[in-house]
Amino acid sequence: MSEAATTLAGARKGRPSILRRWVGQALARNLSCLVVPGPEVALAHGLDLAAADMRIAATPRDATVLLIVGELSQKLDEATAVLYAQMPRPRAILVLGGSAPSSLPQADVSADLSQTELMEAATRLQRLLAEGAFAASPDDFDSSILQTKTEYVCPMHPEVVEDEPGSCPKCGMDLVAREAGGDSDAGEHDENRGHEHHEHHHDHKHESEGHDHHHAHHNDHGQSHERHHGHHQNHKHAHDHEQHQGDDDHEHAHCHEHEDHQGQDHGHQQEPAQEQSGTEYICPMHPEVVRSEPGRCPKCGMDLEPHKPGEDESVKEDVSEHDHEHHHDHSGHDHDGHDHSDHDHDHDHDHDHDHDHDHDSSGFMSMVEVTKDLPRSADGLAMDWLEVPFGPCFPGLPGGLKLTLTLDGDGVTEGQATSLVAMNTSSEEVAVETFIERLAAAMPLAPVSYRLLACRAIEQAAGLEPDPAVERGRAAALERERIASHLGWLAQLGRQLSFVWLTRRAAALQLETQRADREQLVALRPALQSLIARLEHTPLLKARLKGIGALPHGSQDLRGTVARASGRTEDARQADAMYRELGFEMRAESAGDAWARLRQRHVEIMTSLDLVEVAGDPELPKLRAIDNPSGTGEATVETPRGRATLRLTQERGQVVSVELDSACSQHIGLVADLVEGQELGDALVAVGSLDLSPWEVTS
Amino acid sequence: MTVALVLLTLLVGAWLLAVIEAWLTTGRLRPVAPLLAGLSHLGRESILARKPDRLFFETAPVLLLVVAVLGAAVLPLAPDLVIADLATGALFLNAVLAYVLVSLIMAGWGPNGAYAMVGGWRFLGQLIAYSMLIVMPITATAMRAESLLNSAIVESQAGLWNIVYQPLGFVLFFIAAIALAFRSPFDLPTAPGELAGGVDAEYTGVRLAVLRLARLVMVITLSAATTVFFLGGWQGPLLPPWAWSLIKTLAVAVSMLLVGFYLPRIREADLLGWCWKLGIPLALLNILIVGLLILVVP
Repeated sequence: MSEAATTLAGARKGRPSILRRWVGQALARNLSCLVVPGPEVALAHGLDLAAADMRIAATPRDATVLLIVGELSQKLDEATAVLYAQMPRPRAILVLGGSAPSSLPQADVSADLSQTELMEAATRLQRLLAEGAFAASPDDFDSSILQTKTEYVCPMHPEVVEDEPGSCPKCGMDLVAREAGGDSDAGEHDENRGHEHHEHHHDHKHESEGHDHHHAHHNDHGQSHERHHGHHQNHKHAHDHEQHQGDDDHEHAHCHEHEDHQGQDHGHQQEPAQEQSGTEYICPMHPEVVRSEPGRCPKCGMDLEPHKPGEDESVKEDVSEHDHEHHHDHSGHDHDGHDHSDHDHDHDHDHDHDHDHDHDSSGFMSMVEVTKDLPRSADGLAMDWLEVPFGPCFPGLPGGLKLTLTLDGDGVTEGQATSLVAMNTSSEEVAVETFIERLAAAMPLAPVSYRLLACRAIEQAAGLEPDPAVERGRAAALERERIASHLGWLAQLGRQLSFVWLTRRAAALQLETQRADREQLVALRPALQSLIARLEHTPLLKARLKGIGALPHGSQDLRGTVARASGRTEDARQADAMYRELGFEMRAESAGDAWARLRQRHVEIMTSLDLVEVAGDPELPKLRAIDNPSGTGEATVETPRGRATLRLTQERGQVVSVELDSACSQHIGLVADLVEGQELGDALVAVGSLDLSPWEVTS
Repeated sequence: MTVALVLLTLLVGAWLLAVIEAWLTTGRLRPVAPLLAGLSHLGRESILARKPDRLFFETAPVLLLVVAVLGAAVLPLAPDLVIADLATGALFLNAVLAYVLVSLIMAGWGPNGAYAMVGGWRFLGQLIAYSMLIVMPITATAMRAESLLNSAIVESQAGLWNIVYQPLGFVLFFIAAIALAFRSPFDLPTAPGELAGGVDAEYTGVRLAVLRLARLVMVITLSAATTVFFLGGWQGPLLPPWAWSLIKTLAVAVSMLLVGFYLPRIREADLLGWCWKLGIPLALLNILIVGLLILVVP
């Protein structure tokens, strides 16, 4: 190993000392990993992180190692850069079975996707951390994804936005610095929402600002760049810098600059009140009633309140900003949170002034006025609505899925889900064998099902009749994958609900199931039965899931387990003669809620086990010899998440066109209705219960 | 001397608890793991969130630790082993626990992030509800002891521990203790799968080390309180009094961990609904029953 390779790219600044050596060794023996896209993907690849002495971290803040499993899509790559920037140094990057993401520094350790490689990589990583956690001059991490801009706005006239500091052309006040992408261009965002192709991605305003890897929304930072900030370009700050408390760690001078901005903010808040004079009297309930003299409101008879016009305006401005935020600016930043609290500060400020006046006169603090234009919740309370992103690497949701929820306190007013790893079926011509491999690799949560789907479609296009012997082995492999997949879902449910026992047990069984032959699977039956029996009698679990995420009966959009849990008899296996031969019998729950989905998955685990027992040893689908390499074929497979249909055309051994219809493409559209009006925890449970695989969403 | 012993007990308890917790989660028993974790936190960057409320952000972890230690200060581990056997000890404990709320609201507000904020406010409802289930069972134990002195409450259990005398009170207190320590299944303020760490989410480095330590010490303190109020405190045959206190405290702490290990997180609505509609009436019933017992049984 070369000299250079003994230091981490994400080392922390510091000269080697005995204490730092100890710290490095402690870090090496305490590897906490942020898994991208998610722990469920690592499990689906058969990786046992615990066996490699790695702990799964819930947030980037808590992680030492960024563990990347497989190839990342462009969007996920960008999101990962933001996650990485949020990890405290010393930090390391471990890439398994893929190329290092382009927006990140080179991987400290790379290896193939297998347990032995993982174990070996963990050892190498431990050595690196023990020796190279601290460096005299560590590399800065900088990426275009993390850049942001500053623009200057007039505190009184939100429409005034300049690139340079100066004074407002309308009122002459000093302009105030803020990050680009504030409320003024909210309308524009709106128009651009949904387009993913903007060149400027700055969302990480946070990062920008204090370099401190800002706030909370880690997990998703990545995403917010749907925002388009084409203009207002001023300062570009690169970040990755953190505000450190100790001075030995200052990597950057930017922090100070940012603090300056904040200072300016505060400064400006005071100005309006000072500049204004001439008191008006307004009704606290009817803002349109404004008089120059004290008196009573002609509409409600309340005492009019003294008010300085400037203040009034500033309140209104605040409120209108809120409005923007809540109604237009759904682009998912965290900085919504910030803005929000900034506004709060503003409000406080205004309250203070009200107070002053009020002490002089009526003693009434006009909460009504301050909140008059805020959106109302179902309970009539006016609250700040925050748009908060969950994902694409959120501990309670499948990796690659980004859920954007508008939070009203702890309730969800609206939400939508998007996949950052959606499959793109408009690919170029590829050889049939390559196509099969690619399709299987593109679906890390159900590779066998999609391999089978591709094989069947190609064989059908070639005019081959199904061979019963081959089909039995394939069916067994498919059913084995279904068991493993449902167990993976249970482990994910455990992570979502902090149900540690379930996560451990289900993950262990999933790993055992993945490569088991018929004998081994049959031997697992008692373990599976006891897991299921125990779950159905776990206190609190039923209360947690019952009635959550209920879907209408018989909806045409539903497929697979989700459909069967709603009482819809929808199963591609029913039409399969071979399954009838194996004695397949479909069973369905009827309640259609998260609890019914859990029970349905339990039932299906046992049904699949019965099928494997009859069908024999699982055999991975392999393309049979085909004579006629041209034609059009269509195949349907009941994947663990529901029916998937693949139509393809091949010419001379090349796949020329593909059309994939999968269950998750349908189910992801259900999210908006499921989360609306729910409490946050219930909304996440509802989304989780759909068992979405964002890879199986077709774009 | 007493102070040093109590602090040492808390630290040792926290360490044991961390070992057992890691054992449950990873399946490996590694006694040095908590020390390594602590050391590695010290070596990592302590990031300050963007535009934080610095005072709140910095104070919250320390306040939580102070609260946990203050609570332990009034709990007698042996007849003479108590930092302050206040005449209002039982009440003092309850008063101190109210500051857990203050700490969490500060931790939620401080970092200026949505996850933390939701976590902090969630705890507001949780603490207000469940501190009722702390104070009402304590009231019943104080009624029996006819004193708010914690050592007198222990001595009142010489013949029969309160867990037998007032089992309902014990169950309610035990549940409320888990809720106040916001451990699973009551970990709504941190909720890894819902809020990605919630109030913990923005802390790194030394601050996170303090926060983690504070949470462990909190469990030890509440377990020690359970021991004092319901398990006869230091009383027991053969072993010295401090040993009995330690054994009982650890047993309660481990059972709190086990409850969390085998249960999913409770729903927010159920958390509050069950407490106000079921827990508090039961706590009142407990007081009534204990009152009747005191009157009827001499």
